[in-house]
Amino acid sequence: MIVAEQKPMAEIKELVAPYKKVLILGCGTCVKTCFAGGEDEVAVMASALRLAFKVDGKEIHVEEQTVERQCEDEFIQESAPAIARNEAVLSLACGAGVQAMARRFKSTPLLPGVNTTFIGVLEKPGLFTEECSGCGDCKLAVFGGICPFTRCAKKLLNGPCGGSQNGKCEVSAETDCAWHLIIERLTALGQMDNLRTYIPPKNWRASLAAGPRRLFREDHVI
Amino acid sequence: MRNGSKVKVTVFHCINVFSEGDSRLAAKGENVELKFVRLPCSSLVKDVFLLRAFEAGADAVVVLVCPEGACRYVEGNLRAKKRVQWVRSLLDEIGMDGNRLALFNLPPGDSSDAKPIIQKVLAQIGTTPQAELSDRPPAGQA
Ligand code: SF4
Ligand code: SF4
Repeated sequence: MIVAEQKPMAEIKELVAPYKKVLILGCGTCVKTCFAGGEDEVAVMASALRLAFKVDGKEIHVEEQTVERQCEDEFIQESAPAIARNEAVLSLACGAGVQAMARRFKSTPLLPGVNTTFIGVLEKPGLFTEECSGCGDCKLAVFGGICPFTRCAKKLLNGPCGGSQNGKCEVSAETDCAWHLIIERLTALGQMDNLRTYIPPKNWRASLAAGPRRLFREDHVI
Repeated sequence: MRNGSKVKVTVFHCINVFSEGDSRLAAKGENVELKFVRLPCSSLVKDVFLLRAFEAGADAVVVLVCPEGACRYVEGNLRAKKRVQWVRSLLDEIGMDGNRLALFNLPPGDSSDAKPIIQKVLAQIGTTPQAELSDRPPAGQA
């Protein structure tokens, strides 16, 4: 999932300050799962903003709505009536959701309420960890299903650095050493031979070379 | 404290911990208006409920839960505690003073502790009723 976290209230207050009527629009998919922008977070944000503005002696009218997915036009259409009633939208979706909204609603200011952070998983209750960099050329089969491009702080591809200690990365004692995990898992799978072959430096052309990427599925177009 | 009018306190409590009739008695003589929200378990005290209590005019919000380790549903009171901590930080962030929100552990069925709790909360929130918050100069300006 896309993992995001809510921006500090001070920043959000500053973003919405020029407007008197604001729609807080949540997204019911990734950001809901990471407690940043689902229905519950929209309700809390609405209440917190009303209180914050009251403290400042100002008034704000806040409307709440959450759509299933803000990154898909079909789902964002349903927010059109609410958008027409408001001067701006505070979107609690990821950056893709905010931009999908901006694409459709050309004359409405779109304000991001969260910082989109990474592609990751819920590792245990309350802890989300980054797992994939969306590199466009997945090599997880070689590395036993653990991504060194993303999870090794130095993006090493041919074994651990000297800082790997007791399974932890030298960069942070809280972070597992990706290479420790890779070797553990390849050993368990009987695939340590994977590491006997030279793994060339990562070719980032599939992700960073030519601006924003496009994926066109001709078979889905009539 | 607000002159003349009563200080409004909303009390969220688990039905296993507290009897409302007793607490009303406990608050007798205080310049306080109590409002109760009964919950089947304190873990159901969602963050938005706490905020909306303030929106509805509460000067302070109190959450009463069982002692740690004594929750009938094992960890309900721990969840309530975490949620109260997070809403307190949110209240601080928006300039409302997190001390307006407090959680207390009470022995189940013993409401004799209610009076000191109410007094403690009133002392904590100091002299500014919520209704007068907007009369304060903005932060940074004396
Ligand atoms: S190899 Fe690329 S696509 Fe595969 S997990 Fe790592 S970053 Fe993601
Ligand atoms: S300790 Fe492990 S994860 Fe950290 S930089 Fe070295 S090899 Fe990478």
